[in-house]
Amino acid sequence: MQKEHVFRLVLILALVVLSVVSLFPTLQLGGLQKTETAMVDEIKTLTGLTRAEIESGLTSGNLESLVRRTISGDTLEKALELSDKLIKHNSKITRVEGKSIRQGLDLQGGTYLVYEVDLPQLLRDKAKNKDSRLEDIITATIKQSEEGIDFFTSLQENFTSRQIGLNRYFGSKGQTDEKIIEELQNEATDAIDRTLENIRNRIDQFGVSEPSIQKEGNRRIVVQLAGIQNIQRAKAVIGKTALLEFKLVKDADIVISVINDIDRVMRKMRMGEDIITDQQPGTDATQDTTLGEKAEDKQVSLSELFGDQADTTVEADTTGGVVVDQKTFSEKPFSSLLRQLSGRSEIFVPLKNEQVVQRILQIPEVVDVLPGDAEFLWGRETTTLGEEQFLELHLVKQEPELLGSMLTDAQVQIGGGGDQSMRAGAAEVHMELNNEGSKKFAVFTGMNVGKFLAIVLDNKVATAPRIKEKIPSGSARIEVGNMDEAKDLALVLRAGALPAPIHAITENTVGPSLGRDSIDKGKNSAIIGLALVVLFMIFYYRGSGVIADFALFLNIIFVLAFMAGFHATLTMPGIAGIILTVGMAVDANVLIFERIREELRTGKTIRAAIDSGYSQAFRTILDANVTTLITAVVLYSFGTGPIKGFALTLSIGIIASMFTAIVVTRLIFDMITARFAIKKLSI
Amino acid sequence: MQFFKNLNVDFIGKRKLAYLFSATLILLSLVSLILHRGPKYGIDFTGGTSLQVKFEKQINVGDVRNSVSKIGFGNAEIKRIGLAEDNEFIIRVEQMSEGSDAAVMMEDQLTKDFPENPYDIRAVTEIGPTIGSELRRAAIFAVLFSMIGILIYISWRFEFKFAVAAVLALFHDVIITLGFFSVLNYEITLVVIAAFLTIVGYSLNDTIVVFDRIRENMKVLRREPFASMVNISINQTLSRTIITSFTTLIVVIVLLIMGGEVTFSFAFAMFVGIIIGTYSSIYVASPIVIEWHKRAELKKR
Repeated sequence: MQKEHVFRLVLILALVVLSVVSLFPTLQLGGLQKTETAMVDEIKTLTGLTRAEIESGLTSGNLESLVRRTISGDTLEKALELSDKLIKHNSKITRVEGKSIRQGLDLQGGTYLVYEVDLPQLLRDKAKNKDSRLEDIITATIKQSEEGIDFFTSLQENFTSRQIGLNRYFGSKGQTDEKIIEELQNEATDAIDRTLENIRNRIDQFGVSEPSIQKEGNRRIVVQLAGIQNIQRAKAVIGKTALLEFKLVKDADIVISVINDIDRVMRKMRMGEDIITDQQPGTDATQDTTLGEKAEDKQVSLSELFGDQADTTVEADTTGGVVVDQKTFSEKPFSSLLRQLSGRSEIFVPLKNEQVVQRILQIPEVVDVLPGDAEFLWGRETTTLGEEQFLELHLVKQEPELLGSMLTDAQVQIGGGGDQSMRAGAAEVHMELNNEGSKKFAVFTGMNVGKFLAIVLDNKVATAPRIKEKIPSGSARIEVGNMDEAKDLALVLRAGALPAPIHAITENTVGPSLGRDSIDKGKNSAIIGLALVVLFMIFYYRGSGVIADFALFLNIIFVLAFMAGFHATLTMPGIAGIILTVGMAVDANVLIFERIREELRTGKTIRAAIDSGYSQAFRTILDANVTTLITAVVLYSFGTGPIKGFALTLSIGIIASMFTAIVVTRLIFDMITARFAIKKLSI
Repeated sequence: MQFFKNLNVDFIGKRKLAYLFSATLILLSLVSLILHRGPKYGIDFTGGTSLQVKFEKQINVGDVRNSVSKIGFGNAEIKRIGLAEDNEFIIRVEQMSEGSDAAVMMEDQLTKDFPENPYDIRAVTEIGPTIGSELRRAAIFAVLFSMIGILIYISWRFEFKFAVAAVLALFHDVIITLGFFSVLNYEITLVVIAAFLTIVGYSLNDTIVVFDRIRENMKVLRREPFASMVNISINQTLSRTIITSFTTLIVVIVLLIMGGEVTFSFAFAMFVGIIIGTYSSIYVASPIVIEWHKRAELKKR
């Protein structure tokens, strides 16, 4: 073997190895999914649950409680063991999926939603006075923007051409048109950011594996949810307007007495004493466990926690237990689930105990011991204390003191050190209230100095600052730990302050069954198309055809490996792109082979014919492929999701085909002609 | 195995005939487009709602139409997909006024009217009218930009006259493919636009191979008159042109037959485009180069 061959051979082999490594997770995935299906089937027969129920239980993390709820006795244990296995298997699949070729929404099923800020509505909302002239301008602007002119550019032009100053409707008198347009643009961007924040908060509840929420341009948000079951519900929740409320936090002593009451209720329940006898369901003997055995263990089973009448709908986390303070467990079963109570009104709940606590709070007897005007609300974010993660729980007055609609603005400010009440560099959020809000707030703060005020967005507490003094002006300051927190809080406040006028303008949903069909059809077409092309090449070019076919296989492997390596998305048009590549990839080899035949006809030796065939064909191949690449790149930049997938596979296919046709086949020819004294080339 | 050995077909001599043929096809395409008031745009470009459902048991298009007409969708376009026993349909309506969800309304009505015949929702698409017109514009820009890109690249690699000839041939291909869609009343969707761009790239591929040989032969066959030199070049590359078109056609036909609803229109556009594109690189692009060359020669004198 010649030295120069070795170099190319090593290069090619390295690429092949790299490709195989990058494709390995994708190959593994099919088998893993088959095992999963088998496991799901087994659970199905054991429990009688449907596949959809099991799968949604799996994504939302409450499969175990689902199984507990459905069956009992001997099969329960078996089913639980199996579902535990399934959960572990599923998380392995998720890991492998992260390194595989990603399937587009059109293949795995899912929803693609595009939301757009209603700019005309935003203008109407912002306008100081509304008249027919403004409406005329807005209508004209809408029309022009539909023709592709930027909304704000067109707005400004429409004002100028009518010789009306923008300050007549927007901003303040002294402002120039440019300044006002800039402010309106910022307003629109802000509306997008606020909506993005809202959607992000709400999407969590769907158990979507890889939700994608992105800004597109300056007035759109694209949401992609893979494998979602109930699209209508998702749409309803995502499209809902944010609800911002300000609620008074109950004093620490009330909180402590409420917790004590709950402890009492729980204790009684665990002892089997019915508090309100006629409301108690029958007891389940199989769930009975004695306290003595388990109290040594830090992990306490749920049935124990709830006593005899344990309702198995408790949302347990996957380990099946909760963290309790062993010392206080028997005395104060509820308190033992919580941390850090002394003197503070907020309760810290270890993240692990969240669902159990939530469950306890919903028990009718527990609800009964709450003061009539109070409710528990969870915090929005987790806090880390030491090594553990906690969620805050707040006891607040149900009736809100202020509504988001009374808020006009919220901005982040950084302390310069000049202000005596603020540390230099510390961040705070300024919020402004409207007239009505200012009056209410003045009275309320005056009456409640020293207490805490919870800022609640969509029933989750963002923060609960202390009221330091009466705030008469309607302009309040909230001190926050750092810049990021301040930014988040300002966003929360603005999100609820002015509901952004936003609409879904595109929805594209593909059901999982159609996706599976598409994959099957794509696969079959690819295999049959490939087989026909391969056979034709061998039929027409004989031995050389075999070499070209080898290059074709490598080509497909390279394309797929690239997709997997970059975790790129494969769509149905993308599959079409690969299939098309199969047909077109042989082109380079056809060009070379035809050229070699021509050279042979002129009487050249085999080596010379191959040499000049490759070198003559190279320029043609390059020119022909560059132009195809130009169109593919244009397509990629103009296309939407699935089309981008097509442009991508086509582009990679073209590039890979140049490499395999020129470098790989050449090396094979060179090695064969160097090794054997070939008298007649099989071409 | 060789199908084409020492070919010497007089393509250029018959170019007048080819002009007539192309002109007829273009004319027919334009007439059809005018009669149909432009291309028939799919939901991607017009906006609207489309619901794809698959029933478990046998059901007719009429039954489905009766059902949806009860909620005011009497003019819905209802299309059966696949075989009759698949019981699968696409129901398409124009966008309703904002806020009301046409897809949900139809789903509810179908559930109500056919309680004995459950269905699976295969796909739902709802596209607002603004986004449709926007996409239409983007599609036109995409085609134009790729043409400009090609014009620049070929002008740089070859000569300007080659670039113009190549781009004219591309217009020829796209218009005729569009004509086929118009005559058959097929819809232009985003996927079809993608196919058009691919045709542009593909047809160009063929054209460039021929041009490349012409460029090469301009040095080798200096004595030969320009037209016959072009004819020789076409003959020399003919075998490659046809083999490549053939292998590509194989996969496109497979896709056409087996690819299903999603890729059908794509494969159909490719099918027409490949045939027209192969023809045009022989009979349209090269003759234009010759005509241009002739004029330039006349001017010189």
